[in-house]
Amino acid sequence: MWLWFSKLGSPRWFYELSSKWLPWLYAAMAILGLVGLTWALLFVPEDYQQGETIRIMYVHVPVASISLACFPLMAVAGTITLVWKMKLADMVAKCAAPIGLWFTGLALATGAIWGEPIWGTWWAWDARLTSMLIQFFLFIGVVALRSAIESPDNAAKACAVLSIVGAINVPIIKYSVEWWNTLHQPSSDYSMDPVSPNPPEVWVPLFIMICAVYVFFVITLILRTRNEILVRERRSQWVKDLVARA
Amino acid sequence: MKPHRRKKLGIILFIATGLSVAIGLSLYALSSNIDLFFTPTQVAAGEVTPGQRIRVGGMVKEGSVEHNQEDLQVRFIATDYSHDVDIYYSGILPDLFREGQGIVVEGAMGADGTFVASRVLAKHDENYMSPEVKAALDAAELQRSMTQGGT
Repeated sequence: MWLWFSKLGSPRWFYELSSKWLPWLYAAMAILGLVGLTWALLFVPEDYQQGETIRIMYVHVPVASISLACFPLMAVAGTITLVWKMKLADMVAKCAAPIGLWFTGLALATGAIWGEPIWGTWWAWDARLTSMLIQFFLFIGVVALRSAIESPDNAAKACAVLSIVGAINVPIIKYSVEWWNTLHQPSSDYSMDPVSPNPPEVWVPLFIMICAVYVFFVITLILRTRNEILVRERRSQWVKDLVARA
Repeated sequence: MKPHRRKKLGIILFIATGLSVAIGLSLYALSSNIDLFFTPTQVAAGEVTPGQRIRVGGMVKEGSVEHNQEDLQVRFIATDYSHDVDIYYSGILPDLFREGQGIVVEGAMGADGTFVASRVLAKHDENYMSPEVKAALDAAELQRSMTQGGT
């Protein structure tokens, strides 16, 4: 297990292995995305309250759930950076931050587009929306901190600390709708019964969309990390060989 | 794990736990300010000063909506099924506004005990389904209450 752990930390090993993963991930994303989007936009029945507007949920929920997963990922990578000084962990943390920022922004934007016709407002200062806005600023903070510090080692440490501290916000976002009264509705329960609230015809396409967007996130993260590996390891022999062959 | 790494990990975990507790306690202390709205029960308990701008949230009471025939003035009752608040509003209501729907109103308590709203927002719950499923559920509910009423 420790051997595997230290092997995974080797950028070269990750670069070579991820080349083998990528085609499979592309295929999975194409299939899941195509099925999920077609199903959600064309075949999901309209909602008894919200009509066609419900289709926004099939984009809003996936991007929001991935933006929530991204901060803990950065916190774990940051802890590994601080404790074990693994190079790859910091590269992943660095590459994840801008993606998480985009996903948080998309979650806020799609939420506003959904809120305007249904709630009657783009924005409300309720606990869910506000804590999500705080996460948006935290992501901006991590991205800005990274580029503000010149020494890569110091930037890595500072960003790791900010990621660990900022991850405390994630459970607050998640449970905000249960701890306080909010305009945002609580999380839905899934039901296997076709004649019940949230029947399979509603949540199966949502589940497919969540998987599709997760795969998209993983692909983007891998591509950015591979790029970062080449930049940071540009003086090593294996990268020089790779470039010479290309 | 090497001792110096174990120590470092311990420090990180200690700081993260300490911060979580601190933030958790501050949020707990602020919880009434974080709530988006007052419930009709809180209004009835006198937690609201007249004239202060607040939000009140509840359900639109069945049969309580009175539209003015000439203009956009509307009166209705917001309830949490234990207490009621009379609401007066003049303006365009959101599409989702209907009897039995969750709403949040923004405004101030008038001297006569009527809440004068300047904005009405609609809330919806976390249950999504098609109109057919909703109709089937309502029909089943009606049947159940009728058979219970018969015995």
